[in-house]
Order: sequence, then structure tokens, then C-alpha cells
Amino acid sequence: MTPLLETENLVKEFGGLVATDDVNLTVEEDERVSIIGPNGAGKSTLINLITRRLDPTSGDIRFKGESIVNLEPHEVVQRGVSKSFQTASIFPDLTVRENAEIAALAAERGAFGFEFLKHRDSLTDVHDVARNTLDSVGLLDRANTVATDLPYGDKRRLEIGIALASEPDLLLMDEPTAGMSPEETKSTVELIEQVKRDHGLTFVLVEHDMEIVFSISDRIVVLSRGGIIAEGTPDEIRGNEDVQEAYLGGVEI
Amino acid sequence: MSVLSDIVVILLNGLQQGAIYVLLAVGLSIILGTLKFVNFAHGALYLIGTYAGLFVALNVPLSNGKLYEWGLTTLGLEWGFFAALVMVPLLVFVVGLLMERFVARPFYDRPDTDQILVTFGLAIVVQELFRILFGSNSLPFDQPERILSFGSFAGIPVSGPVALPIVGNFPQWRLWVIGITAVLVALVYLLVEYTDFGLVVRAGTRDAEMVRLLGIKITRPYIVVFGIGAALAGVAGVVGGPLNVVNPTIGTNILVPAFLTVVIGGVGSIAGAVVGGIVFGLTTAALVSLAPAWSQVGLYAIAAIVLLTRPQGLLGDEEVAP
Repeated sequence: MTPLLETENLVKEFGGLVATDDVNLTVEEDERVSIIGPNGAGKSTLINLITRRLDPTSGDIRFKGESIVNLEPHEVVQRGVSKSFQTASIFPDLTVRENAEIAALAAERGAFGFEFLKHRDSLTDVHDVARNTLDSVGLLDRANTVATDLPYGDKRRLEIGIALASEPDLLLMDEPTAGMSPEETKSTVELIEQVKRDHGLTFVLVEHDMEIVFSISDRIVVLSRGGIIAEGTPDEIRGNEDVQEAYLGGVEI
Repeated sequence: MSVLSDIVVILLNGLQQGAIYVLLAVGLSIILGTLKFVNFAHGALYLIGTYAGLFVALNVPLSNGKLYEWGLTTLGLEWGFFAALVMVPLLVFVVGLLMERFVARPFYDRPDTDQILVTFGLAIVVQELFRILFGSNSLPFDQPERILSFGSFAGIPVSGPVALPIVGNFPQWRLWVIGITAVLVALVYLLVEYTDFGLVVRAGTRDAEMVRLLGIKITRPYIVVFGIGAALAGVAGVVGGPLNVVNPTIGTNILVPAFLTVVIGGVGSIAGAVVGGIVFGLTTAALVSLAPAWSQVGLYAIAAIVLLTRPQGLLGDEEVAP
């Protein structure tokens, strides 16, 4: 079976710096993959290559078997790749509902034909998707709240909601718990677990918190200096000496 | 004339003058707020709107300029004012689209100063082009007497005095300007607040990069924003033409009050542009009737006071300032 996402000999150089070094990453459908690695290992670069924010120097990226390296970022989203962002990425002036709607809208009709002059509510598909999404991230009762007034943890939930509202086949999450309190982290992890169960979603998670990584991943990919140095199940990674050396400086996980 | 009737006349005149500022400022403000593009050529769109309105509605005698030298003594379609009111916004909308594509878009990522230089240059080119073609003297833009007259239907009278309570007779056309402006601004407001297009524009005002990442090709909403802003400037030219002189410098002359309206109202805010326009209109009308020598100074004084006390404008949002 064709993997959902595949990168083949993917290379990204910034001047002389090789940020992504010959990466062959495979993500199967229904798989939960975490990417870990020390700071500067090239995790964000890899994510940005997949979402087409960056152009690779060489190599190929295939989604559902088709190359996406020549697509615009908005086209990648319409193919079914969505990303939850590292920095707080919501539209603070819009209501929670409008935040979800714009994401649903983007996935449906991001190319913007002439139907955009219709009243939003006349397009029930977008409306329903937004509503369902807010329900699944537990923000439906706050739909009319202006996003900026949400507490921090709810803002991160909304971010995940925005990513889900585009009904992705693959969700990329870049440090979804960064800056959260322990309780907020716990509830976000529960949310991710729940999304995993309810939506059968395939996701790629970039995360620093090892506890989260080891608890929710099917497979872990370890990056160091742009290249993959190890991959395997959480148990395999836990025992891998190269990983401990590169990533943890020899400290036992 | 009682004091009360003086006050009402000043209010009505102020609303009418303000309406022209509002039409210009709404377009300018949404372009500045959404696209972060400083368009000093916005006055040129007003200029084009006024001349186009004149030539669609009437048949105007020329007395100098290249067209006159080439043997053209009159110019105009004489299709009436309603035709002008429909056609000119469409024409200026298209001019706006072309301006977005060939002037603005290459400069979106450039500094404000570059944008100002290129658009101010364009404004001067347009102004001088009009001067060469139509001469620098003022052309007569008569107020339309009736609109929509055809066949046996005499049409709706829009000019001449109308009897109002308190003030007595008042020039009817000024009321039409206020009404047309109110309808158009309401339409733009509904478009921005209640359509998908508006949702994307509002989101893009805050974070265009994220809108793009969500999967929206934002260049199309942008070009429409520019076109709508341009069309409103065109309407201002048509409805304001009969109330003001018509010569090639009106575009650059109206630019400063239009920008000040945006600034005191708050960049990117439609409501702000409306409030700013009304404040300026009322100030101008009051000073013109009470202390004419100070009428120009009034705008700057108000702008200075607002900016000193509330730099983001009356209804502006600090974080969206470009």
C-alpha cells in the first residue's frame, strides 16, 4: 500500500548549512509519528518543507503517492495536509466560530471562485464542519467568544480545532503543548488522544516533552543535524544508544 | 433664519461634505488595513471618477487642452446622471484592478516610502494627462435635474430646492449624496461582516500569512478589495463632481483630507472612516459658515488633537496599524 506521506532523499540547504540532510521519511495511514531531536536538528524545517512553506533543494515529497513539491501551500492544504502551529496562531479579533469557519472554508474553496459572495450561513457544509470541529475540541459553548478572550489552554485547543476544521488526512502538530501549564498540557494530550480515537487521524507530532511523545506515538523518528539517526517504536527508541548520545547527551531516558 | 435652522443647515452640509470624505476614506482604509498598501493614487481614482461621470452624464464644451486643439469642441455621451452613477463605479473598479495588478502588487513587500513614491508619481502622471487632454481650466458639472427619465416617465427630481422642516428650502442634491453614500457604505459593511469574502479579508487584515497557510489563495480577495475601494472613490467623484469645481488638480487636493479621515478614524475600520468623515465634514461646514478663513485649518487642528490623544485613531485598533 502507498504510504500517506513519503519524502525521498529530501535535502534543504540554507547557504552552506544543510538543514535537512537526505531525509527519507514514511508515514503510513492511521499512524502516529513523532519527530524528536535536539534544537537545530531540522524538525521545523522538515515540517515547513512538507507544508510547502520552504522549497527543497533536492528530493521529492509525495502525499497519497503524488508529488507535492510543485504545489502552492494552499493547494497542499486542499490535498489534505493541515498544520497546527508552533506559535499561537489564531485570529484574535474573530470569534471562535469564525476561526473554525475560515479554516473549513479554506479547505473547501480556498481558491476563491465567485461563490464567495454568498452569505456564510448559506453554505451549510462549512457551517457544519466548523460546528462539529468546535464540538470535538470542546469549544462549542464558547463559539461566540472573541478568540483573544479565551484562556491560554483554550487558545491552543482552538488552534488544534482550526487544523481539524480543514478535515485533514494528515495533521502536522508543531509543539502543541509549548508554553502550557502542566494541567493545560494534560488536557491537550487528552484532546490529542481523543482526536486520535474519534477521527482516526494520522498525525506527525514535533514535541519536546518526552512523556507526551512516548505515550501517544506509534513510531518515533529521531533527527540530528538534519538527518534521521534512528526510528522505531517508543520501546526501541528508549533503548537506542545513538539517540541517547545525540539527543540526550548520554543521559538515560 | 433662526439659530436652530443655521445649526441644522450646518449639520446637513457637514454630512454631505463628510459623505465625500467617507466614500474616499472607506476605500483607502480597507486597502491600507488589509493590504498594508499606502495608495497616494487614490485621489487619481476620484479624478477619473469625476471626469468620467461628467462625460457620461453630460455633453461638455471644451475650451482648451489637446482634445480642443484637435478640433473637439464638446465631449460627452449625454446619457444622463443615472447612467454615470452605474457605469463610472464599474469603470473605476476596473481601473482599480489594473492598478492593483500592475502598480500595487509589485510593491506589497516594499517599504511604505516606496509605495508612496510610486503611487504619488502615478497620481501626478494621471493629473498631468488630464491637464494635457482637457486643459487646466475648470469644467462645468451641472447638477442633474432628474434621474431615470425616459419615455413618458419624467424621472425622479434630484436637483433644486426641497422644503424641509425647520430649515425651509434646502438643495435636494446634497441629500441624495448623503443617501447614496449611506447605502453604499452599508453594503460594503455587510460585505465585510457577513460574507466569506469579508471573513477572509478581516482575517487577512490581522495575519495574511496564516490565511495563506490555511489554504486560501488570498490574492483574489485582495484584488477585489482594491477594486471596491477604487469604485467607491469613483462614486465620490460622480456624486461630488456637481458640488465642487472640476479640474485636474481635484485628485491631489482631496488626497490629504481623505488620508486624514482614515488616520483619525482608525486604519482598517469602516466605522472609523465613517466617523472620521462625518467629523471632518461637520468641522468644515461649521467653519465655512462661521469663520470661513479658518475652514482649512480646522481639519489639521482636529487631526492633530486626535493623533495626540489617540494615535491609533478614534475607532482604530493599535495592533493593526500598518
